[in-house]
Amino acid sequence: MDTTWIVIGIVVVVGLWLAMTYNRLVSLRNQARNAWSQIDVQLKRRHDLIPNLVEVVKDAMGYEQETLRQVVEARNSAVNAKGPAEVGVAEAALTAATTKLFALMENYPQLKANDNVMQLQEELTTTENKISFARQFYNDSIMGLNNMVQSFPANMIAGMFGFAVMPHLDIPDAERAVPKVDLR
Amino acid sequence: MSAPSSAPVASGLASTDFMSAQRRNRRMTRWLLIVLTLIAAGLGASIGAMLEFEGGTASDALSALTGPAAIAGAMLLGLASLLWSGITLALGDRLLAGISGAREVGRENEPQLHNIVEEMAIAAGLPKPKVLVIETEVPNAFATGMRTSRAAIGVTRGLLDSLSRTELQGVIGHEMGHIANLDTRYMTAVGVTVGLIAMVSEIALRAFRWGSFGRSRSSAGDNKKGGGQLILIVVFLVFAILAPIAAKFVQFAVSRQREYLADATSVQFTRNPEGLIGALRKLTEAAKPFPGVSGATQHLFIINPLRQFTSRTWSLLATHPALEDRIARLENLGA
Repeated sequence: MDTTWIVIGIVVVVGLWLAMTYNRLVSLRNQARNAWSQIDVQLKRRHDLIPNLVEVVKDAMGYEQETLRQVVEARNSAVNAKGPAEVGVAEAALTAATTKLFALMENYPQLKANDNVMQLQEELTTTENKISFARQFYNDSIMGLNNMVQSFPANMIAGMFGFAVMPHLDIPDAERAVPKVDLR
Repeated sequence: MSAPSSAPVASGLASTDFMSAQRRNRRMTRWLLIVLTLIAAGLGASIGAMLEFEGGTASDALSALTGPAAIAGAMLLGLASLLWSGITLALGDRLLAGISGAREVGRENEPQLHNIVEEMAIAAGLPKPKVLVIETEVPNAFATGMRTSRAAIGVTRGLLDSLSRTELQGVIGHEMGHIANLDTRYMTAVGVTVGLIAMVSEIALRAFRWGSFGRSRSSAGDNKKGGGQLILIVVFLVFAILAPIAAKFVQFAVSRQREYLADATSVQFTRNPEGLIGALRKLTEAAKPFPGVSGATQHLFIINPLRQFTSRTWSLLATHPALEDRIARLENLGA
């Protein structure tokens, strides 16, 4: 009689733990996927914004055709990049190019007076911030997920239901390099 | 912005700094909640002892304080306060505490503010809260909402006019931190317990004054040599009078801890303490009361809108820590 209750108790506790661990894994994975798709959305938005910005500044920035050309090229290769590794490198190069463009734009007071330019610049700034915040949140999320997937005893459940370690998003060095601005 | 095996970091900011700050903070909040429950239990014990005591010597009085009625009283009130605040925390209704004078603004009117709120929502992994503006030139900001999916962040016109983009981001990060840490709900739960303690003390004190309290009230006069009665009355009065005050102190202490926590959470989101530090300096310089704030809503704001605590004069009755202390802690995060 007593042992029956003990067995029932153990089964209930194990069942509860199983359900909670499984749900935790699911919510962590969804969180990471959500952040991942957010990154995608923002990258596309950046690709759409850049040609507009180049269009409105190109007349005023007559002496910066080379920089503008680099931005457009970086944008096009980012659009055409395939696979996470290639995308990472291309997007980093694009960030470096736009950062340089923003810095150069500081030299053109007439651009600062142009509402259209300021608006586009704000949109690009927020898009780049969103990309890095989404990446940050993605990395934080997968850290929790990966810790669970790899550590005992949750790893047994993870293995049973096919939860895998997700990759950490590293930012290539190019993005961290400070752009060189020639201040005349 | 990257480290190979840990959370991403920026500008020499060790990834664990804000995390350990948050852990310390949560631990502190838990201790304060335990103290609050103990205050309620002590009050319950003294009431129980008063009810049970039948007169006698001082040692009789002391044993009454640990007698079954006292223990029952302590457990009853302690459990009631735990349950009550627990229910508030768990349910958290759909209430969106309103600040008078704050109105919702559309993206077309405040695109940058909306952008920054979206950025911080992404950093927190939460849905975007409502965006409100108060038309006053005093710079300040607040967050409200009992659940993360139904929250609002409000800023004053003065804040929008005086802060840089980075500083505004630090402030919005702080407010998003309040939302992510469920601070509105937290403070409501604490407030409910403080209210319970105040109510029970009030009732007990009234009952005592009307003389309907304790079976031996009538015999107190003819049983002078006992002395136990006096001890119990003193213990009871001390608890009944001091418990609500002590509970209030704990409430303010929790509020201060949650401000520190929101500061640390802002750095977690922005990975840049400089923005929030700059904003706090500007805000404190220009701080003064404005229409729409009251004692009831002061704890919602990023800096106290009613009182200025620029110096390190530590006040038990402050909802916010001194600015120097907040900045010092933020600078530690960035060191």
